[in-house]
Amino acid sequence: MILIMAWRNIWRNKARSLIIIFSIMLGLFSALSVVAIYKGMMRSRVRTVIDREVGHLQLHHARFKEDYLAGFVLPEGIGLEKIDSMPEVKATTRRTVTTGMLSTATGSSGITIYGVVPDDEKLISQLDKMIVEGKYFPAEMRNPVLIGKKLAKKLKLNVKSKLVLMFSDSTNAMVSAAFRVSAIYESENSSLDERSVYVARENLNKLLGIGTATHEVVVLLHRDEDLDRVIVSIGKMFPSLKVERWEDLSPETELMVDTVNQYSYIILIIIMLALAFGIVNTMLMAILERTRELGMLLALGMNKVKLFFLIQSETVFLTLAGCPFGLMFSWFTINYFNRKGIDLSIFGDEMMSSFGFSTFVYPEFPFDKVTGMLLIVVATSILSSLFPAIKALRLSPVEALRK
Amino acid sequence: MQNETVIDAHNVSRIYNPETIPVYAVNQVHLHLSKGEFTALVGPSGSGKTTLLNLVGGLDRPDSGNIIINNIDITKLSSNQLINFRLNHIGFVFQSFNLIPVLTARENVEMIMHLQKIKRSDRDLRIKQLFDEVQLSDKLNSRPSELSGGQQQRVAVARALASKPKFVLADEPTANLDTKSAYNLLDIMAKLNREEQITFLFSTHDQRVIERARRVITLVDGKIASDTQPTSTA
Repeated sequence: MILIMAWRNIWRNKARSLIIIFSIMLGLFSALSVVAIYKGMMRSRVRTVIDREVGHLQLHHARFKEDYLAGFVLPEGIGLEKIDSMPEVKATTRRTVTTGMLSTATGSSGITIYGVVPDDEKLISQLDKMIVEGKYFPAEMRNPVLIGKKLAKKLKLNVKSKLVLMFSDSTNAMVSAAFRVSAIYESENSSLDERSVYVARENLNKLLGIGTATHEVVVLLHRDEDLDRVIVSIGKMFPSLKVERWEDLSPETELMVDTVNQYSYIILIIIMLALAFGIVNTMLMAILERTRELGMLLALGMNKVKLFFLIQSETVFLTLAGCPFGLMFSWFTINYFNRKGIDLSIFGDEMMSSFGFSTFVYPEFPFDKVTGMLLIVVATSILSSLFPAIKALRLSPVEALRK
Repeated sequence: MQNETVIDAHNVSRIYNPETIPVYAVNQVHLHLSKGEFTALVGPSGSGKTTLLNLVGGLDRPDSGNIIINNIDITKLSSNQLINFRLNHIGFVFQSFNLIPVLTARENVEMIMHLQKIKRSDRDLRIKQLFDEVQLSDKLNSRPSELSGGQQQRVAVARALASKPKFVLADEPTANLDTKSAYNLLDIMAKLNREEQITFLFSTHDQRVIERARRVITLVDGKIASDTQPTSTA
């Protein structure tokens, strides 16, 4: 009977109830959209890290990353080619890596120099697809180097500009060599573009004096889900090497994922607070309008627990009516933008790319968070109607009946 | 049976603004009501009729005195105990009907029995009986907005009787009714009083009600000025 009363009560003032239902729908939509956008951004960032920067996992000499010394190469003849034949592995590439200085007539900059095998690199980092000017390791050019757009801008370099790379070789002696810019690339991570240059591995190896050795093997898998299993297998195959997964190779990305998750909860709290104030206000109005009726129920013998249940039920009904609409609206909208993308360049290309984000975001419907969101919205509604409900419980029947 | 005490109020006072300018709404009133009485509480506006009715009905608490109903001093009950006491022992009929607008006539009456946790089959029987008595068997499924004032007040009477109370308190029950509806309502209540020994206590200025009452208590300035038993048609 109380539930019947509660259900009918919410339709006494249709406009007001529809406003609450719409607010709940909007609150749920906002909360899911924020999470969907963040999820899309993070997914895109993680994909960029895996597919274009570090791969799923990398192998190094156990001490290589201490100082990036050229001498800490991967030992030869240990069967690294066994990785290539693993069924889970999509592609691998071997790189030589050193840190050094890039100098031009106008300035210099500290950089990381990657010696890459051009054809293999296409499969791993898709470096060739990031070229905005020039050619990808043209055969006719001697000592070609690919530099990032941001670095090119900073040092006023163009395609065919000459520059000097300076670094320590395997004997710790300083070496320098002249290179010519064959192409300028632009990735989604401008800060990486500013400090990474790519040269042909054979050229770099000669200068480092390490023959055909390499410093790192980058492994890209067919499926992300295989990473845990593959990393254990590779670790067992090469116990003397340091095998690291992408989260360890790009710790800032993992930190970013965690931070963004926390921010999304802060935004969620703000949205829920706005929703709560709306509900408090509307339910308070609904109760003030029915003071006499509620007083009469108390007079007739409806106890306070049942009166409280009546008011809470009204809020829960309104919430339950709003949630399906909110879910459906969110699902359609998020799916639409998941296909079309949202251009966030309005917030600044530079800022987005300096954090390694694409300006185009493809929000993803957060199925894993729907239950949690629904619970948060229902809990917010119930908590918001506590104040009006308690106010109703404090009514004196005599006072209420006089109104 | 006629002498079974239903209400026994001793020295009951209700003072408004006791700290500033005290107003004695009810001043040291003694009231004794026996089973089967059909009593009108009359007096000018502000004489304390409604306040006394509220005190006897457990809707308000006296500043002094005791009110014994069914051997229980209701002035000693907690707020929650009072709610439960009202549900099981007292029926109320208010001046402005006060039906729940979202419930049908039947549901308005059934709600009381539902609160009493009476089982469905017993509820159905009681509803049929009550609606026959108030002559509204054809309006069971009508909402209050679909009923006339007189019909609404008859539903309110059925609701007051639903819990099988010790007595019914009616605050100006005919105030908002036309003459025909008022007489019809009074006929029904008089019949219930006569045939089922239901005790009624009305607060009223309505001469039509006073004419039907078998006992008339007049309140003036919160005190009982007279307590008479005129010849009645009830």
